[in-house]
Amino acid sequence: MSQAPVARLQNVTKRIGGRTIIDRVSLDVYPGEVFGFLGPNGSGKTTTIRMMVGLMSLTSGDISIGGHSVRTEYPRAAEQVGAIVENPEMYKFLTGYQNLVHFARMNSSVTKERIDEVVKLVGLSGRIHDKVKKYSLGMRQRLGVAQAVMHRPKLLILDEPTNGLDPAGIRELRDYLRQLAREEGISVFVSSHLLSEMELMCDRVAILQKGQIIDIRSIRGQAGEAVQQTEEALFDVDRPEAALGALQGEWSGYVADGRLVLSADRNAIAEANRRLVEAGIRVYGIRAKTKSLEDQFLEVTGSETND
Amino acid sequence: MTNFWKLVQNENMKIYRRAATLIMLGFVVFIPILVTVGFVLLSDGADVNMWEMMQLQTMIVFILITIFTVVKSADSVAGEFSSGTIKLLLIRPWSRSTILLSKFLALLLFALLLSAICFVVSWGVNALLLGYEANPGGLIPPTSPMAGGSPWAYMLTYYLYEWIVLVVIVSFAFMLSAAFRSGGLAIGLSIFILLSGSLITGILGSMDKPWVKYVLFSNLDLTSYLSGGAPLPGRGMTLGFSLAVLAAYFIVFNLVSWTVFRKRDVAA
Repeated sequence: MSQAPVARLQNVTKRIGGRTIIDRVSLDVYPGEVFGFLGPNGSGKTTTIRMMVGLMSLTSGDISIGGHSVRTEYPRAAEQVGAIVENPEMYKFLTGYQNLVHFARMNSSVTKERIDEVVKLVGLSGRIHDKVKKYSLGMRQRLGVAQAVMHRPKLLILDEPTNGLDPAGIRELRDYLRQLAREEGISVFVSSHLLSEMELMCDRVAILQKGQIIDIRSIRGQAGEAVQQTEEALFDVDRPEAALGALQGEWSGYVADGRLVLSADRNAIAEANRRLVEAGIRVYGIRAKTKSLEDQFLEVTGSETND
Repeated sequence: MTNFWKLVQNENMKIYRRAATLIMLGFVVFIPILVTVGFVLLSDGADVNMWEMMQLQTMIVFILITIFTVVKSADSVAGEFSSGTIKLLLIRPWSRSTILLSKFLALLLFALLLSAICFVVSWGVNALLLGYEANPGGLIPPTSPMAGGSPWAYMLTYYLYEWIVLVVIVSFAFMLSAAFRSGGLAIGLSIFILLSGSLITGILGSMDKPWVKYVLFSNLDLTSYLSGGAPLPGRGMTLGFSLAVLAAYFIVFNLVSWTVFRKRDVAA
């Protein structure tokens, strides 16, 4: 990607009381990209996001949004950002509409028509004049999205947006974020500890552990297909040890959970199957084993975080 | 500047769109009415003119106005922290000091509105029930620097002095609200200052120390200058002196609010 990044984090460090919470985090978010920020609880995702939106100061390093540093030109940087930090807490004693008017007044670009437009967009038209205290969590979440996209930000920052949503709500949000990224060129920076969720939503993910970025990788290839890692085939057989012996020399494999695991492509799988049947081993099933992001994530972070 | 006014509008919306605010307004409207009506019904023709009654009511209602504004200032910043809305408020393209200024201004406007309502209602009900009097005796003491002047000028000056004290107490509450994010602390301590003021002034007055007149409490009773006295007699205190001391406290309180609010991280 040769475009200028929308957000650039350079050696961002946060120390609180001698403890380093965030340690030299650097990353770029490009236009139109859905960027996942993945890490176990307590790894520093929310702290990083708070620094990006100016709720927390940086100990060292810098964050620039659209070329404006949050340290020195905060209002210019904030103009281009829409965000929900943790739960979207709105003024409960106001109606949804009054809440939107409140935040619209703080961005000169938002017109009345635009407010109506986003209300329709998030599907709250019927209830927008109700007090927020009567809203369900899902409706609050949608109102949160409305206030975040109202001023057409270049960068949308969402902290654990799927928390508390039901599966339909999660799916809706995911589709909506991808649509925003694709059609309006908005970059989305989304944090989560739900790996499977990120896998479906993001173009790239950064994995954060104990305040450090340990990996940044692409989830999607050119065609938008999920990138499959080295393929392995899983053979469900009656005697796995004997089966491994029968294939010895030609395929590398091992036995796990009573199943035979082989590194093999399509043709090799068919060939291995023939060999097994010939050796009198009963094959009950064969399936491809792709590494999900979750496996990769656990691999990188070392399965359980040992604090 | 029109944009900044929108921030104040927001704060106004958050003040007035609450049921509690209506109740507060109700108190300010009905207390003068109740006192005057009660007086007319029960007093058997005691000789009190409308201005004296108005001054008495103002004294009572201003304590309430101060408390109400203190409650609102506790809510204004500390309340946004406890509800979590501060996060959505501070990620807008405005500096924190501007947002804090809009809040402070909205509070002063709120106090101004309540004072105006108090003035209008209590003037109206007393003029109506006790009769208008252009040259009342007994309102302005002969020792007053304004003796012989118009009751209008005297009463407006009285309001002004009460209002200056209110601003200092509200700044104190605002400081606790913004710097320590504790609404309860802000309300409690500010009401303590308001109500124990005269008591503490009495204790301080009995002490023979030169610093006593610089203490905040010793300067909260500005209206005593209006009757020709001073909060602490015999110590050479003047109106100008008290105003200077209050100004110094005002600056310190707001400096603390501003510095802490601008610097501090907004954590969970």
